[in-house]
Amino acid sequence: MVIKKLLLTGGALLLGASAASASGFQVNLGGQKNNGMGGVGVALSLDQAAMFYNPGALAMVRDNGVQVGVNFAMPRNSFIAESGGAQSQLRNKMVTPVNFYAAFGPKEGKWKIGIGANTPYGSELHYANDWQGRYSLTDINLRSVFAQLTASYAITPQLSVGAGLVMLAYGDVDLQRDVPLSAQNGAPTPHVTLSGKAKQTFGYNAGILFKPSDKLSVGVSYRSQVDAKIENGDVRLRDVIASTGGNFTATNFNATLPLPATASAGVAVMPNEKLTVSLEANLVYWSEYRTLDFTFSGNNGYGDRPAAGSTPAVAGTPGLLGGNTISSSKRFYQNALAFRLGGQYKVTEGLTVRAGGFFDQAAVKDGYVTPETPDADRIGLSAGASYEFAKRFGIDVSFLYEDFLKRSQSQSDLLNNGTTDRVAGTYKTTIAVPGVGLYVKF
Amino acid sequence: MKRYTTYSLPALALLGLVLGGCQPDLDDTRPATDAGSLNFNSYVAVGNSLTAGYSDGGLYNEAQATSYPALLAQQFAKTSKGPASFVQPSFATTQADGSGYIKLQIVNGAASPVPPSAANNYLDEKVAFTTPAVNLPGGRQLAPYAGTTQPDNLGIPGISVLSSLSALTGGLVPYGTLNPFYERLLTTAEKSTKDYVTYIGQKTPTFFTCWMGNNDVLAYATNGGVVENIAPGVPNPFGDLTDTTRFGIGYRAILRTISRNGTVQGVAANIPNVTSVPYFNTVTVAAVAAAFKAQNAASPGVFIATGPTTAPVVRLATSADYLTLTAQAYIAATGAGSLPTNPLPSKYVLDATEAAAVVNRTTQLNNIIAKTARQNKVPLADMNTFFTGIAQQGVVTNAVNNTATFASGNLFSLDGVHPTPRGYAVVANEFIRVINANYGSKIPNVAPNDYRGVLFP
Repeated sequence: MVIKKLLLTGGALLLGASAASASGFQVNLGGQKNNGMGGVGVALSLDQAAMFYNPGALAMVRDNGVQVGVNFAMPRNSFIAESGGAQSQLRNKMVTPVNFYAAFGPKEGKWKIGIGANTPYGSELHYANDWQGRYSLTDINLRSVFAQLTASYAITPQLSVGAGLVMLAYGDVDLQRDVPLSAQNGAPTPHVTLSGKAKQTFGYNAGILFKPSDKLSVGVSYRSQVDAKIENGDVRLRDVIASTGGNFTATNFNATLPLPATASAGVAVMPNEKLTVSLEANLVYWSEYRTLDFTFSGNNGYGDRPAAGSTPAVAGTPGLLGGNTISSSKRFYQNALAFRLGGQYKVTEGLTVRAGGFFDQAAVKDGYVTPETPDADRIGLSAGASYEFAKRFGIDVSFLYEDFLKRSQSQSDLLNNGTTDRVAGTYKTTIAVPGVGLYVKF
Repeated sequence: MKRYTTYSLPALALLGLVLGGCQPDLDDTRPATDAGSLNFNSYVAVGNSLTAGYSDGGLYNEAQATSYPALLAQQFAKTSKGPASFVQPSFATTQADGSGYIKLQIVNGAASPVPPSAANNYLDEKVAFTTPAVNLPGGRQLAPYAGTTQPDNLGIPGISVLSSLSALTGGLVPYGTLNPFYERLLTTAEKSTKDYVTYIGQKTPTFFTCWMGNNDVLAYATNGGVVENIAPGVPNPFGDLTDTTRFGIGYRAILRTISRNGTVQGVAANIPNVTSVPYFNTVTVAAVAAAFKAQNAASPGVFIATGPTTAPVVRLATSADYLTLTAQAYIAATGAGSLPTNPLPSKYVLDATEAAAVVNRTTQLNNIIAKTARQNKVPLADMNTFFTGIAQQGVVTNAVNNTATFASGNLFSLDGVHPTPRGYAVVANEFIRVINANYGSKIPNVAPNDYRGVLFP
């Protein structure tokens, strides 16, 4: 019961949105200590966030504890279209991915059980009102909150395993775009919003941590794919032009978005009691994301016409958006690797400082970049610190800066790939993510 | 130690704001705009309705503002080699809708194109016709252009190569008294004496575009291969396919005049295949036959009158015959075509023989254009190939599918022949591509999505 209550509290806390800070629309901001170290975690047992990075490491975390962290992601994006026109920028908005973990076990016991919640996938971008890609996308807000229940067991003092149930506790998506039709008398451009909540679904994660000595640890972990399935999402239409209403009759949509599996492996060395350095690699199975398919249904009556003169009444065709009952857009993502390096140094009894960096490969292939995920290979640098009071309470601060490599695609790339539903041009994105966390150990 | 955290927290937040506030700048990604060796100080556009910015069956200020020469001038200006201003022969703001234009209106619940009447304020249009009405052979007289100097956009809706040089018609049909769009640009004295070649010769361009010849095949084609009388017993002297001899003489005169015998740089464009425009592909024989069959299951198809109007041959239409856009309203009003005794008149049908003649003559005239351009060292914008490509594949502009489909395709206006502002933007980009490829300049493209397609009610 306590767990359920905590989950609910966590869920309420975690509705904050997120910005894609790893390949595709993955967000790798699982724990504040890890954020300061370039996102390493699979070979570490720093704190309760271990249950996210490697459930097997949880049993190796010495103390019971509760912790909460919040990040303030500030993406900046610029785009210039191949077709010309001015450089456009996002209507900037800060998004706040959050994480929460609590774990308990007998003191000096062999097992530990934990609950946690975080936002491993998400993206929120609001493009400028008149930007060149407005007929592809004007706004996206993709949010997910995952809850997990994890058990970890130390088989020997050197080897521990763990596994957990992962639940897509809350997910929603809001996609908006303009309709490429012009209205008489300067009436506004029609605008479509697709929004819906994902069904709650389950996945799992599992991991092993092997610590042959005080100076070395090795970890592997795996988190399964979870599909965010939206049934009967809302199609909302604004400023539909009357004479074209027959092509815009849908009221609902169905769509499924894969939130892919991640496999990680890493090693950490602790040459002395104060210093920890860890290196790891993650593989995100983005190739599962082949197409983004919508099926439309319902009838808002925009296509119905009463009888007029000798013309009989007309009943509109239901379930149309832009004249189609389905839409399919190619994604064809590729599996993406990330390499991370991070370390921490215990300066005094209370103060620990951290630094790290990573290289994260793009999940989106050349010529497939969409405005909803202006993905690119990226480099991240991070720093952080913790200060602990009375060996019980602590505060973690972290700062991450990500620099996406400039990414261009031409109209001929799009024509060759059959991906002309997006826009040709050059994207450049940076994200700054300061974060802060609080923890208590007992 | 506590002060570490006390200070580091706001410091980190500040760092976040500083780095987060840094907007990436991509302006260096764009190729530098460069005019190369070109000078656009005085850009002059020679041509017909396509050059004038004619759209939706009319010339009006809003469409004229997005004529391809206006868009080119706007892009040329970005090279800082001018032009400082590009003057188009606009109508007064109180008469901004010029000759009036076709609008989509909801009729019986569905959007239908409604042609303008000459009456003011019909369709909310402020027309520029003179009152009392003066009817020229080419249409009702328009208010004279108020500008004191010759405009830079010299596009005259309706003008052909044949009508540009008065010697080709023995000086017997002064074009300034026939065509209201030309007449409004001339002084009273000039109307009966000044032909178009002389008129364009008054300019001293530093760069020009020349897109002539369309009406040497289009007038014949859009009228279903029928040369109409402009007065009882007087056939339209410019209503037939222009012969190659007179076209050659006229075209050479035009291009030599505007290029000053090849000494001024510019671009010449050729004639698109007119049978690929929505005017000939929206009302299909198959669709009309199906509609007849729905009313009368025994209907064998669509009866058309072909051949000379004096001795027409009535036969069933085949898929090789083109019906004009204007046929739709005529069939709806008269029921023509359903019976051999009431065939669809020849002017609504470009039959297979006529269509082949049009395509064949277009090829011949385009050969003359290409050769003349070469002789004057003027690069050629192959609009024939470009429009054929658009008719077959359309053109995608930033996630928008633009096609040659009537109205909903975004590219062609409601007359089915002339582009929309979006279509003119696409045409401007093709000119820019040819200019950049031939002169080594780097003129930036127009963003077509910034310009509208057909306006829906």
